[in-house]
Amino acid sequence: MTASLYQTGVSGLLAAQQHLATTGHNISNVNTEGYTRQRAEQNAAVGQVSGPNFIGSGTYIQDITRVYNQFSYKEQLTNQSKLGGANALNSRLIQLDQIMSTSGGALTSSIEQLYLGLNGVADNPDDTGLRSIVINQAKTLSNDFNSLNDNIDQIAKSVNGEIEQVARSISEISLEIAAINDTILQSQGLSQGGQANDLLDKRDQLVSQLSEYTRVNTMVDNNGVMSVMIGQGNTLVAGITPLTLEVAAGDPDPVQSSLRLVGPNSSVALNAAQLGSALGASVEFRDQHLAQTQHEIDRLAMAISATLNNNQASGLDLNGQQGINMFTDINTLALQAGRVASPSTNAGNLQAQIFITDTALVPTDQFDVRLSLGELVMTNLTDGSTTNLGPVSGAGTVHSTPFGFDFVESSGAASPDDLFIITPGKNSAALIDVTLNNTHTIAASSAVGVSASTNNVSDGAVVITAVNDPQAARTYSSSTNAGIMVDVFESPAPAAPGTVFEYRVYNAATPPPAIPMATGTYAAGSSAVIDLPPSPAAPAFQIEISGQLVGAGTHARETFTIADAFGAGNGNNALAIAKTQEQPLINGNNETFSQNLATATAKVGSSASNAELVADTAQALYNQAYNRNQATSGVNLDEEAANLLKFQQAYQASSQIISTANTIFDTILSAVR
Amino acid sequence: MRVSTAQFYLQSGLQMSNQNAEVAEQMSHLSSGKRILTAKDDAVSYGTLIGFNESLANIEKYQRNITQAQSHNNLQEVVFSEAENLLNAIKEKMLQANNGAMSVEDIEAIAKQIGNNTEQLFDIANSQNEHGDYIFAGYQSNQQPFSQETDGRVVYNGDDGVREIQVAKNIDIATNQSGAAAFIQVKNHLGDFMGDYTYASSDSDVVLATANIIDRGAYNTSDAPHTLNIDSVTSHLTVIDSNGVAVFPTAPALPEPYVAGQTITFDGIEVTLSGNPLPGDSITLTDQTTESIFTTLHNALTWLEQSPNSSSQNQRQAQYNQILDQLSSGLHHMTSRRVDSGVRLQTLDGLASRHLDAELNISQGKSTLEDLDFAKAISEFEQSKIALQASQQAFSKVQGLTLFNYI
Repeated sequence: MTASLYQTGVSGLLAAQQHLATTGHNISNVNTEGYTRQRAEQNAAVGQVSGPNFIGSGTYIQDITRVYNQFSYKEQLTNQSKLGGANALNSRLIQLDQIMSTSGGALTSSIEQLYLGLNGVADNPDDTGLRSIVINQAKTLSNDFNSLNDNIDQIAKSVNGEIEQVARSISEISLEIAAINDTILQSQGLSQGGQANDLLDKRDQLVSQLSEYTRVNTMVDNNGVMSVMIGQGNTLVAGITPLTLEVAAGDPDPVQSSLRLVGPNSSVALNAAQLGSALGASVEFRDQHLAQTQHEIDRLAMAISATLNNNQASGLDLNGQQGINMFTDINTLALQAGRVASPSTNAGNLQAQIFITDTALVPTDQFDVRLSLGELVMTNLTDGSTTNLGPVSGAGTVHSTPFGFDFVESSGAASPDDLFIITPGKNSAALIDVTLNNTHTIAASSAVGVSASTNNVSDGAVVITAVNDPQAARTYSSSTNAGIMVDVFESPAPAAPGTVFEYRVYNAATPPPAIPMATGTYAAGSSAVIDLPPSPAAPAFQIEISGQLVGAGTHARETFTIADAFGAGNGNNALAIAKTQEQPLINGNNETFSQNLATATAKVGSSASNAELVADTAQALYNQAYNRNQATSGVNLDEEAANLLKFQQAYQASSQIISTANTIFDTILSAVR
Repeated sequence: MRVSTAQFYLQSGLQMSNQNAEVAEQMSHLSSGKRILTAKDDAVSYGTLIGFNESLANIEKYQRNITQAQSHNNLQEVVFSEAENLLNAIKEKMLQANNGAMSVEDIEAIAKQIGNNTEQLFDIANSQNEHGDYIFAGYQSNQQPFSQETDGRVVYNGDDGVREIQVAKNIDIATNQSGAAAFIQVKNHLGDFMGDYTYASSDSDVVLATANIIDRGAYNTSDAPHTLNIDSVTSHLTVIDSNGVAVFPTAPALPEPYVAGQTITFDGIEVTLSGNPLPGDSITLTDQTTESIFTTLHNALTWLEQSPNSSSQNQRQAQYNQILDQLSSGLHHMTSRRVDSGVRLQTLDGLASRHLDAELNISQGKSTLEDLDFAKAISEFEQSKIALQASQQAFSKVQGLTLFNYI
């Protein structure tokens, strides 16, 4: 009887000790990341049968368990994943938004300054000072493009660095989890029922870290061994076997690095965009937002180069030579070849190039071209639309597309299913440079000019619409011919008056009745376009004749003279170049250069502000999940303090039991003494 | 709900750092005075904002161009007004010279003065601007446009080039007038033809009063030149074309003598004469719609150098009249050139004020989008500040509360 009271007292004492130890453990781990509060589960010992009664025999600690709700923990994990992804994307986009808003602003003002300079030259074509301003502004513009491009490259590099770092961390976590699994498996075998609480916490903590990097799913088997799946269900840890994540250079673009899950006997490619969380966000940022911005900048650099170069070529410089390129030619062989990337898996050896024909039509999308059943099929990688480019026909074949570029087979032959990735603007911003160094090479002067006779009374008009070869145009109009005359008059015998108009173009030295070099008619409201010199000679320039004039017959003609207009004081071509600032020459002839840049910047801005919203929401959701989980599993010091008192008192009380038992025992002993 | 200790610290920390971030962001808006710092702040407005900026930059460009165009056109206006003064002076002197009381010496003095004036006009025509460019050379601005031949004729070496500059979205304005338009293409006071006179006697003084093409469809250059003949016997007036075909009077009308004031019409041409044609006189029409002002002045000088006492006084007087008329035409021409520059200046003024209006409008629009509403921003800033302070204070109060204090 007394012995059992001793026992009872000791069992209470021991239980209180364990309680106190657990409470102390909780208190000391109040700041441990990922710690789950523990509780000693106390049970009453089964009583001893004494007659009809069960007499209690004290207590025992059945188990020390984590106060753990796996549902709220999973919820926290999921939200942690989302938060990791949202935060990663948000911080990257904020960086890109700032770069685009500042560097982009600098680019806009360089464009404006260049055009201001060109306006100055249009006003004072032979002023060397103004001309050198244009060259310097052009250099500033190309430098701005280069540096913006460098910025974007740097971001891509740092994202790739981050991806590698994260892959390394994931691999390490994978090894640790496997090791913990191993330990749990062993300890579980030894102590039945009891749990390795702190190991479990450690493992959960690792999983939680993992969820910041990628989407995670876990499964715990009966032995307490956890399998970890990442992304779309790819196993990272299979029981005690860890797999590692490795980064491989992208193919064909090495910058677009890819991820592989490597095990002892296997190596599986992962769809990085599907990994979710920070890793997925990094890849999404690199392959979508950053790539899109890069394509926009490249296209803008390309369009500005092409526009200014083409306009230069329509005019004459101070020495009467055709204007040379202001910026690097957009169709150098290196640029053409760089726009096509072919994966190493291609069986054939076809080398292809992209020749830009019209920068206004070039989209910012990427394309792939696949050889399928002998035909080249081009797919827009953004919207999935396909274009058939026709059969492969060997080196030199040009496949034109409706997107302002030609796909040119340069050498070799393709095998079925060979793939080519096309980036139409590739490298344009990186390689843009000013090729004009001498101030006199700015082609400010137009080659030929039209002057109307003072006798013209009504609304006939002759305009020069295009100049392909200004030197030839000049020679043709003033040396080959002694001035080109254009007569426009109402057809003498029309079906109805004012419906059909005639023109004739002739050498001023040999007027009709000598045979004119071109004659023809056009209907009211339309116009006639004539190449000069006329076919079969190569056209040097093109004129458009229009107007509905009064007075029938060749005598009542309106006369125009096309003659050499070259001169130091001729700034017409510079004026034409200057006007391209306000013309919609990019994105399907819908936007001016500055507008295009603004649109690109606004796109990044709107993505960034969107990402911020998503991050805010994710943070709120995570906070709620975290709170719910903490409500169950978190340590509250007040509660622990109360417990401390409670168990201290229990300890004292149990001591009192022993003391009482002792007194009883002493009493009995003294009674028999 | 149970609140764990870690949760309390984490939450309070998170909240305070959020509020800190908010205060910092509001500070950056307040200190820059801008609502939109990067595209993220308002992507939709950012696009519009860039559009506004572009418009403002364009307006600035137009305004610069307008200043340039104004200075060019101002210079021209000044030059033309000088030219006007010179021609006026020349005309006055010519009027003096026709006075019969003038001695040979007087006339020589007048000729000298007119010669000087002509030199001045020649210099004006070769004016250069502040860059050293010849303003009346068309595109050939680096070579002197007008030069004098040994026989005193002035030739134009420039071209018809007219430079233009963009002064508004779709408006280009000319910044120069070619020398040809300014000094060469002075309207022929007779109309479209000059006359070549063959007089039968020194008493003849018939000259063209007007000669115009009135029907371009009927006038055929391949039949030119036409010649008006007064028959030496019958005094009948006939006109033949270059092929010898009689075109006036048209059959069945028969040739008749010239009646004073008569209008002679043939082949789309209409001619009136002044003076009295004598039998045997003939006039050949030369197609010429303009005459260089320098040619007119050359003619005037030649006229002055002729002896006033020559035999054919009537013809001399007729020539004088023609020269004076052509001088008047030259004066008109200068005025019209001057008006031309003036009109451009007026247009430029109008555009400049239009640009100013547009600039104001756009700046306002831009400011609405971009600029911070300070009242609102400051009150929001105060709010965030108070919220931050409150959570800091609450934290410092609550974090001291623990049961351990009482054990």
